[in-house]
Amino acid sequence: MSTVKEQLIEKLIEEDEDSQRKITVVGIGAVGMACAISILLKDLADELVLVDVAADKLKGEMMDLQHGSLFFSTSKITSGKDYSVSANSKIVIVTAGARQQEGETRLALVQRNVAIMKSIIPPIVRCSPDCKILVVSNPVDILTYVVWKISGLPATCVIGSGCNLDSARFRYLIGEKLGVHPTSCHGWIIGEHGDSSVPLWSGVNVAGVALKTLDPKLGTDSDKENWKNIHQQVIQSAYEIIKLKGYTSWAIGLSVMDLVGSILKNLRRVHPVSTMVKGLYGIKEELFLSIPCVLGRNGVSDVVKINLNPEEEALFKKSAETLLNIQKDLKF
Amino acid sequence: MTTLKEKLIAPVAEEEATVPNNKITVVGVGQVGMACAINKLEGEMMDLQYGSLFLQTPKIVADKDYSVTANSKVVVVTAGVSQQEEESRLNLVQRNVNVFKFIIPQILKYSPDCIIIVVSNPVDILTDVTWKLSGLPKHRVIGSGCNLDSARFCYLTAEKLGTHPSSCHGWILGEHGDSSVAVWSGVNVAGEVHKMVVESAYEVIRLKGYTNWAIGLSVADLIESMLKNLSRIHPVSTMVKGIYGIENEVFLNLPCLLNAQGLTSVINQKLKDDEVAQLKKSANTLWDIQKDLKDL
Repeated sequence: MSTVKEQLIEKLIEEDEDSQRKITVVGIGAVGMACAISILLKDLADELVLVDVAADKLKGEMMDLQHGSLFFSTSKITSGKDYSVSANSKIVIVTAGARQQEGETRLALVQRNVAIMKSIIPPIVRCSPDCKILVVSNPVDILTYVVWKISGLPATCVIGSGCNLDSARFRYLIGEKLGVHPTSCHGWIIGEHGDSSVPLWSGVNVAGVALKTLDPKLGTDSDKENWKNIHQQVIQSAYEIIKLKGYTSWAIGLSVMDLVGSILKNLRRVHPVSTMVKGLYGIKEELFLSIPCVLGRNGVSDVVKINLNPEEEALFKKSAETLLNIQKDLKF
Repeated sequence: MTTLKEKLIAPVAEEEATVPNNKITVVGVGQVGMACAINKLEGEMMDLQYGSLFLQTPKIVADKDYSVTANSKVVVVTAGVSQQEEESRLNLVQRNVNVFKFIIPQILKYSPDCIIIVVSNPVDILTDVTWKLSGLPKHRVIGSGCNLDSARFCYLTAEKLGTHPSSCHGWILGEHGDSSVAVWSGVNVAGEVHKMVVESAYEVIRLKGYTNWAIGLSVADLIESMLKNLSRIHPVSTMVKGIYGIENEVFLNLPCLLNAQGLTSVINQKLKDDEVAQLKKSANTLWDIQKDLKDL
């Protein structure tokens, strides 16, 4: 007795089950789910996988996304506690781990999250040996280094979401001050994704006009318009949002979506993300910090050699020292 | 002394406070518990604003004062109290009426020309409450209702057939909830899938505590039809007195045409006798509750 499906549909050829743009999100807290929904809304994946340890919430989140399938083009959404569901992912986004409590710095999370990376990275790599790993969990620069070490992957394949978000926040605030859309305001924040991040004031520009040529005091303490405060706001923004709503999710989710787009579509756009900086700016240790990187199908294929002025270089090195101080005591 | 902005940018036209073309307001915070909510409201706003580089919505605002909602084209109402243990549906609805009595006049005060989409549950009753409190014509008060149920239906049917949901057409009509009606010519598949639709909503709530993604996407789908003037047909909750022999002023889900003016037409589907009977039964159930509501 034939089923409705058999009566309705005549099969011509077996379905090709291999996904070409499979993305796995590890960790289904607010950040992981914000990444997931942003990726779905941008139609970046043909398969989206959620992985977490909380079985009920995992299934519930997967079902809720599946129920929205009519409204987007990602035809396969799956989930599981076992990493086998993530096999052959092009990108694995790691958001798992403890998050900042009110008033807590990102660096305070380090030991707890290193332990988590030790348990999740080996199966991720086993199941998707050719993937790019995008680390989001904080403190992201240190954890990207840890993930790189544990994974055994080339450094170009392990990318920290880093200052892509800081720079987005920076450009939003500059845009607000000038009455111009953020995409038309250019500005880079590099270094630690955190309190010691480095704003490159000399590069801040609109239509190629460097704001510093209009006001040489831009970004200094003697600047009457106090543009420096914008960078302070970027640093404080996470703390402030956490105080108000308990966590941040939307902006980081969109930022991750931005990076995924560049990688999957091989766009070779330049993003300030956390990468291995040994050998650059006089740094001698193995360390991950955000600098402008060209992102494409192979991950970080090139880095842009920015001319840092002496002050910026000093701040960048200070950022490096802050992280090295913590990294040197890590056991994993 | 010129500011940096003045050095950089030469205005060509006077900056007018122009009326936005596509302003959408989401009302998600009730009167009760405002204090905790204010912080959350500001936090959510900041978090969204910081994503602006990646979005094409240049202005994101949040406030507990409704004046910020002025001149909205569409207002989405998700506010409402949640059901207490062992609370009767009538009681839940009455408590929500009290919340809506505050919200709806505020909305109308600042956006007299808006279209209101009601999401809060029980949505069919609350859409009726909104219609009565707002005094708006019925084409501008819409219950999000079964747009989501039908999307779930399409998804589940597509899974069964191995196709994409957009190629499966199914309509879930009537009351948004347990007694909704699946209308589709492939009756056997429809009956089974419909049951899954009703159960799946409960299951998501049981597993993660609430649902949000699919309903959010569903509401965005409705807004798209209206703001882009698409005249697409969606199963949403509308005033059905006079249709299918229904005599009371109740809201039920039927296939409706949505465009820039709102809900401008109802599609006259040929329903089977048992489907019409189910609709009438739902209408009576809803009327039973509505007739006892106070202060409307």
